[in-house]
Amino acid sequence: MEKPVPAASKVMRVPRSLLLEITARCNLRCRYCYFFNNPAMVYRDLPAEEWLKFFNELGSLGVMKLTLAGGEPFFREDLPALIEGIVRNRMRFSMLSNGGLINDEIAAFMAGTGRCDYVQVSVDGSCAEVHDSCRGKGSFDGAIRGIRTLQRHGIFVAVRLTIHRNNVQDLENTARFLLEDLGLQDFGTNAAGYMGACCANAEDVLLNTEERQEAMAILLRLAAKYPGRILADAGPLADGRMWRRMEEARAQGKPAFYNGGRLTGCGCTSNKLAVRADGVLVPCNMLAHIELGRINQDSLVEVWQNSPALNQIRNRPAISLSDFEFCAGCPYTPYCTGNCPGLAYTLTGQVDHPSPDACFRQFLKEGGTLP
Amino acid sequence: MNPTDKPIASPLVVLREEFDDWAVLFNPDTADAVGTNPVGVAVWKLMDGKTRLADIVSKVKNSFEDVPDSVPQEIEAFVNSLSENGFVGLELPGK
Repeated sequence: MEKPVPAASKVMRVPRSLLLEITARCNLRCRYCYFFNNPAMVYRDLPAEEWLKFFNELGSLGVMKLTLAGGEPFFREDLPALIEGIVRNRMRFSMLSNGGLINDEIAAFMAGTGRCDYVQVSVDGSCAEVHDSCRGKGSFDGAIRGIRTLQRHGIFVAVRLTIHRNNVQDLENTARFLLEDLGLQDFGTNAAGYMGACCANAEDVLLNTEERQEAMAILLRLAAKYPGRILADAGPLADGRMWRRMEEARAQGKPAFYNGGRLTGCGCTSNKLAVRADGVLVPCNMLAHIELGRINQDSLVEVWQNSPALNQIRNRPAISLSDFEFCAGCPYTPYCTGNCPGLAYTLTGQVDHPSPDACFRQFLKEGGTLP
Repeated sequence: MNPTDKPIASPLVVLREEFDDWAVLFNPDTADAVGTNPVGVAVWKLMDGKTRLADIVSKVKNSFEDVPDSVPQEIEAFVNSLSENGFVGLELPGK
């Protein structure tokens, strides 16, 4: 009997949160940055007045949270005015940063609002030599200085560690540094992906199968050593956990996973949306080429509820993996979600396609084994 | 809270209607959020600091079909719970 199609997520009246790329400027040029050298991006900043007008719309609709990203959000000299606009409109906020431009003045201001959920700072190693290899000279010192400044002001710091060829051997030191020396509650991990600037540096940056397997083994071991303190929605740790479940299910002939066998890998568009630095509404910052409208010109409610492009992404779960030649004969199909549509797009040119980057069968074909 | 009290919804709290008139009440200062059904939404909208709790109950009873007998107690418990969490206050006497 045909497996029933999982019910498409019910769409709420307006998104709960948005990710805003408030600037296209950055003090760094990281070798794997998804944002720069991305043909979908328009590298132009909006004046503060445009953002503030948009915040009024978001406040009137009951949007709860904004994530300010970039570029580097602390690059904007008028950041306090933007934050005041967020607070005035009864929202909370978080920031994605490289940490290098954070100083006492802005940290004190943010803490004073009482509305900052966290600042995520990227840290890719336990020392400058490793961290700076992809992010540029001086960036490690800047990141750590930024973290300590935030901690001093009582702002929650959420570190993100992006795994690439140059930091796999440093993962153990990095975990110890972040959790024991810096005293972080936890940190998140992912991996450099074939997007933006990374495409030109893929040979030097992206993990090969052997490195991916090694990163997976190290991270699974570290996750056991530091229970609940190493997080992953993507990258080697997430893959390792998911692929272990898939292998166990296949070996035991278990029924399909609840969300398996279809393109269910992304639920982002059920409750959030993104805005590019030039003010264009997009489904996600990983899908910056799908233009849904423009802030202050198009009604957010109209875009959110009726955009054909957005609804097409929401309907991805109706697409069966068995429709793809790529998945033909794969024993893991009933347990697979197709993963991130953003990476599927950059790797295959199609959004409605499983992501080859997250393919367990491909990993095994290339000689990979599960730790 | 007494039936004669006039509760007032905190102007800071966001009423976010989500699906089928169900909603979330969100306090951005504390990040606390409370889910509520359509009756709760109606109660929230009536808490203007001028309407007595007893009158709010009456208006809700008149606005919905098949209202159970326990609705006064349920509304009172709901408002008390919101009050304890800082979502609702009382208009000060004499104001």
